[in-house]
Parts: sequence; C-alpha cells; structure tokens
Amino acid sequence: MYPIWIVPNLTAGIVLALIATFHILPSHLSIGATWFNVYVETKAYRENKPELLEFIKKYTLLLLVFSYVMGSLSGIGIWYAATVANPRGISGLIHNYIWAWATEWVFFIIEVTGIFIYYYTFNKVDRKTHLKIGWIFALSSWISMVVIVGILSFMLSSGKWLKTGNFFDGFFNQTYWSQLLMRTALMFGIAAVYAIAVAARLKNNDEVRRFITKTASIWGIAGLVLCFVLSFWYFKTLPEQAHGLINTLVPKELKIGIFASLGALVLYFIYAHIRPLTIRLIPAILSIAVLFAGIWSGERIREIIRKPYVISQYMYSNQIIGKDIPAKGVKAESNLINEKGILKVSPFVPEELRDINENNLLLAGRMIAVIECSACHTLDKKGIRPLPQMIKRAGFEEAEAAEAFLDGIGDYAYMPPFHGTPEEKKALANFLISLTKE
Amino acid sequence: MEIEKMIKTLQDPMGLLFYPIFIQVLMVFTFVLHIMFVNFTIGISFLSVYGYLNGGEYWKRLSKSLARATTVNISMAMVLGIAPLLFLQVVYDPFWYASNMLSAAWAIGFIFIMMLGYSLTYVFYLKRDSRGKGFALFGITAFALFLLAGSIMHVLGYQLLQPEKWLGWYIKNGAVDTSGTSLHAFQLPRFLHFIIPSFAMTGIFLMLYAWYFKDREDMDKKYLEWVSRTGAKMAFYFTAIQVIIGLWWLFSVPLEFKFFINPFFLAGAGIGIVLLYLLYSAQKDPAKYAAPSLAVAFLTIFGMSYARETLRTKYLDRFGYSIFNYKLNIDWQSTVLFLSTFIVGLIIIGYLVSVAYKSGKTTGEYAAAPSINKWGKISIALLLIWIVIFIGLGIIVSARNYL
Repeated sequence: MYPIWIVPNLTAGIVLALIATFHILPSHLSIGATWFNVYVETKAYRENKPELLEFIKKYTLLLLVFSYVMGSLSGIGIWYAATVANPRGISGLIHNYIWAWATEWVFFIIEVTGIFIYYYTFNKVDRKTHLKIGWIFALSSWISMVVIVGILSFMLSSGKWLKTGNFFDGFFNQTYWSQLLMRTALMFGIAAVYAIAVAARLKNNDEVRRFITKTASIWGIAGLVLCFVLSFWYFKTLPEQAHGLINTLVPKELKIGIFASLGALVLYFIYAHIRPLTIRLIPAILSIAVLFAGIWSGERIREIIRKPYVISQYMYSNQIIGKDIPAKGVKAESNLINEKGILKVSPFVPEELRDINENNLLLAGRMIAVIECSACHTLDKKGIRPLPQMIKRAGFEEAEAAEAFLDGIGDYAYMPPFHGTPEEKKALANFLISLTKE
Repeated sequence: MEIEKMIKTLQDPMGLLFYPIFIQVLMVFTFVLHIMFVNFTIGISFLSVYGYLNGGEYWKRLSKSLARATTVNISMAMVLGIAPLLFLQVVYDPFWYASNMLSAAWAIGFIFIMMLGYSLTYVFYLKRDSRGKGFALFGITAFALFLLAGSIMHVLGYQLLQPEKWLGWYIKNGAVDTSGTSLHAFQLPRFLHFIIPSFAMTGIFLMLYAWYFKDREDMDKKYLEWVSRTGAKMAFYFTAIQVIIGLWWLFSVPLEFKFFINPFFLAGAGIGIVLLYLLYSAQKDPAKYAAPSLAVAFLTIFGMSYARETLRTKYLDRFGYSIFNYKLNIDWQSTVLFLSTFIVGLIIIGYLVSVAYKSGKTTGEYAAAPSINKWGKISIALLLIWIVIFIGLGIIVSARNYL
C-alpha cells in the first residue's frame, strides 16, 4: 500500500472523475470531428465549393487548440489522477496492458503529427495529399479509441482473463464491443455539437453556415439515436453485479441526466436542422454544457457500477487484491491482511500505530480508515459520502454495533469487505463512532 | 519495516510482460526523444519572448516563428513523454508511485500548469498582432510555468531515488501527511543540467531553421544568415556552460557510485566534447553544420540518458533492487501487437513528416511526387489492414469465449 492522498471533502477519486469526464469532450470531439472534416473537405473539392474550406480551417483550429492542448493534457491528466488516486490500480492495469498503451501511443503520435500537418498544410499541398492526411488522422484517432476501450471495459468486466490471465481474453471482454460501438456513435454526436458551434461563429457566410449546420444536425441525430439504441445492448452485456447496482446505488439524477441530455440534444439538432441560421453562439455553448452533463452522468454511472472494485473481481476500490490470479502467479491479499493486520503489512504506517493498545486506539482506527475507506469516503463532515454523516445516519451509538456492521459490510454489493485483524476492526469501529461525537 | 521489504511489498505482483532489458532500452530511447522536445519547448519559448521584447525587425519575425514552433514542440514533448513514463511505471513502479503519492497535489498540479502554459503559448502566438510590450506577459508566464512543470518532474524523479527518506517525509510527529502538498527533494545542479541544454538545443534549432529554409526563394537570405549565426553562437556558449554545470553536478553525485568512471557517462561526456568542438567550427558557416550538430547532440543526450539510467540502478542497488530481478510473465502476443504496430507507425509518421518537410521547402503549393503519393496510399492501406486484423482477432476471441 502506497502513501494515501486525501483531497479534503472531495476524495481523490472525484478529482479523477472530473478530469476524466472533461477529457471526453475534447477526445471524442477529436475522433468525430475528423470524420466530419474529411467528409466536408471531399465535398468541397468534388462540388468545387472552396468556401467550405473556411469552415474546415476554423474547425481544425478548434481541434488543434482544444483537443490537442486540453484533450492531450487531460488525457495524460487521467493517468496522473489515477496514479495519485489509486496507484496500485493503475499499476495493475499497466502491468497487464503495457503493450496496449504503447500501441495506443503509436497512434497518438500519428494523430498529433497528423493534426499539425493537416492544419498547417491547408493550401500548401495538393488536394489529394491533404485529404490523405485527413484520412490518416481520422483512422488513427478512431483506432486509439479501439485500443483504449479495451482497457476501460476490462476494468468493468475482466472476462475470461481472471482464469487465463491472457491479454486478449481481458481486452475483448463481454462489454468491449457494445462500449466501442456506443462510443463510436456518440463521437459523431459530439462532433456535430461542436461543428454547429463553429459554424455559428462564421461571419458573412450564411450559405456555409446553413450547409454545415444542416449536415451536422443530421450527423448528430444519427449518432445520438444510434448511441441510445446501442446503450440497451451495452446494458445487457453488463455483469450481473452491475445490474444490481444500477437499481440500488445509482442516483436517479444520473439516470435522468443521461436521458434528458440525449433528448434535449436531439431536439436541438432537429431545431438546428429546420432553422439553421438562428443558432448563434450562446445556444451552441449551452448545447456543449448539456452534452457535458450527459457524459458526466454516463461516466459516473460506469464508475459506480464498477464497485466495489477498481479492476473487476481482482482489485477492490481501496487497492486490496481480493482474488488469486493463478495464471499470473498472483495471490489475493485478504488472508494475509486478516491474519497479520493491515497496519502491519502496509509500509506507510507510523511505527507506534502498528500495535494497537488503549492509547492509540482512535489514531490506529483513523489510520485504517485512511487506508481502507478514504478512496470513496471523505473523513470530513461534509463532502463526498462523508463518514461522520453516514455513521450518524446509520444510528450506531456503541462501538460494538459498528463492529457488527463492519463484519457484514462485504455483503453490500458495492462495499469491499473489511480487511484486518479483530483488534483492527475494533479500532476502526471506535474511530467511526468517535466521528459521530465531534 | 525494512526498506528492501517495503519495496518488495510495493512491487506489482503481475510481473513484466517482456524482458526488462528491452523495456529499459525503449524507456531510455523514448526519454531521449522526449527530453529533446522538452528542451526545445523551454528554449524556444524563452527566445520567442526575448525576440518579442527586443523589438528589432529580425527578432520580431523570428519571435513569431518561434511562438508557433513552441506549440508544436510542446505537443511533441507531451506525446513523446508518455512512452518513457509508461515504461518507467512498469519497471520502477514502487519508486515512481511512492514519489508521486508523497507529492500528489503537485503531480496532478503538473497537468493544470501545463494546460495553462500551453494555452498561454497559443494566445502569445495567435493574438500578437499590433500589441504592446505588455503582451509579452503571456509568453513570460508560459515560460515560467514550463520551468515550474520541469521542476515538479525533477522533484518526482529525484524523490524516487531516495526510498530511505520516504517515511520521514510522509510521517510527521506520528501522524501521516496525506495532503501531498510538499515537494521534498530538489537538487539544483541536476535540475540545471536538464534545463541549460534547452538553450543550446534552441541554438541548434535556429541553425536547422536557416538550413531548412535556405532554398526557399521567398525567404530573405540576410535574415536567415542572421538566424543561423545567432543560433550557432547560442548553441556553442550554452554547450560550454552545460559542461561546467555538468562538472558541478558530477561532484554532487555520491562518491560511492564511482560515477566518474561509468562507461556510459564517459561516452556521453566524450561525445559532448565533440559537440562543443563541432559547434565551435560551425560559427563560420552554421547552416552547413546544422544537421551534423543535431545528430551529435542526439548522441550526447543518448549517452547521458543511459548514464542517468545506470546511475539510477546504482541508487536503487543500495536497497537490493534491480529491474533484472523483476518477476516475468512473458506475453508474446501483446508484445508482437506493439512491435508490429510500431513498425506500421514509423511508416505512416515517415509519410506525414515527408509531406510536411517537402511542402515547407516549397514556395507555393507542393504537388506530391508519385513516390510520395504511393507512400500515402500504403499508409492508409496499412491502417485499414490494422483495423481488419485487430477487429478480426477480437471477433475470434469473443466468439471463442462467449458464443
């Protein structure tokens, strides 16, 4: 167990979630936008409409600045945030999927060199060559999604990997295809939202604005409707455990968030299609906000239904390995921790807390809470799933009651079991009770 | 808990998917590419601000080109930074993660600092027309942020080497500090040894700039001449300064490592001296020396980076750690996936860079030669083939497992 990073009121996990959700805006934009770009560019050449190129140039600059500044950095940011929120989780993923990430990296280099060259060679290379660059960029960025979805879906459903330890068994798991296709459809919706926003800023060029807005709205409707349909398939492929969590743990707001945002965007596209010239910057920006709300809901649900694991069936959210992976020679840590104690096996624990006595009971309890609970619960009075409030609400008054609760905590579908010795459980229980008395 | 035991506890139980020597070579090689672009970013962004403030006609013109170049270089530095960091996390996971957790707020702050710095760079490039001197503040701030980001990386890389101090940093007066807001170890000569080359590399960048554009009819010959001379001077002086800083840093390395007789270090330093001599000779006709200077600079950095890696080995050997003792779970399938993708990638990147290279050298529109066109078609075909094979493989695996 590494040192723990606690973000007051928030938890490190929420920092990760914020960055990850934000990342979808520029990253999916990048993938979808290029397909839109090569389509419009081909049309501009075929039908000899050079005025369309003005839009493509603006759209590409948005890509360059937004996707390749904010997008690349927030993408790396997810990695950094995952590192400091859950180092053993990211380590487990990297030690399994190092070559998948390295493969994605190759396409990422192609994307980055591609976008710069695409933008800076407008009117500087012949048309066919320019389109080729566009195609290379479009294909590579989609491939980067093909690769990363493998790892994302692995975290949710590790499939046959648990038995075989095989790279591809984990990669092409039961939620891979539905998620890949759903995200592919979604990326067109995202690209359309941005295309309309860029078109709204074109001055003195109503013809282009009309054309782009009308075309983009069709792409948007098609993408979102398809995404909606595919989401049912995705839902069906989810592990059983996840289904239970959707019914019990996922807040209603998040579910509504997805459907409301999808519905609002489809209506927006229909309106944009009928009256393309009335869309100005403010509604366009609002549509991006609605989009963000929808994505936030979807990604939060994905995070919630992964509980109590960070890597499905293998590692709990609090970084404890809960299952043997014989194919990899990996042993679960549960028994060792229950026998020796979490405070004994974790390196980053003050020496005076390793042995529990009357004097350090609460401090030891707090240390255990830091290690085992703080990934999801803030220890502060307010914030994300605050322990003081939750314990109060549960109505425990005596340490014994809290101890009994800890005994059965693993029976909740979304909670990891308590790991540690009976003395440690007592210490944690006492600490939890002390929180209610502050 | 003993340090050796602590490191063993932290190490990932999954083991490595391929032989550590292979990962080490890839890590160092990609690090060299990464740090070169980091150097370009820092040096070029500095010079673009300097040029803007200087206000001379040539300086102004150069400043604009450099501001634009900064944006490309940051992107390259970022994308090329991913691979070495990935490989580092595979073979040095206990050290990297512990170091990050001890300064977690800074590790995540790095991302926001870079976002801000990068955005300001774009403002400094795109919105500069008819602005006053105060506008340079955007460039200055961006430069300062890049230095700060560099410091954070330096600290994380340096804390990593000192597991004997981790507990002392984390536990104060019997309580753990989970805020992650402290940076615990900074070594000035080591940091400067990373930063000073930025200005030498930027000098070489200017030489390359002049060499690259010398055949373009629409480029002012006198201007290019000036750029190349400025570059050659910069490259020479800063390489000389780097030698001195290098000595300073060398004296700060614990004597027990006997680093001064490390073959990689000696090779790197030797090539560095050759570079200095080359740059001295380059003063008369800098453009001619541009490409050889870059090549020798690359070799110097490569030698030094491998030396740095062997030094890390020495630091961690004190605790019985060696990447060559890492548990192995060899997986040929995914290794082949990466290697074949890597070759495909090189072909495609080669095509993209060729087009950019040729179009930049052409006045007006560049019409691709048939051979280049063919290269482009092959690139697209390779991507399609990649997709077909990968998706095909996925369908087979899924059908076998789930049907």
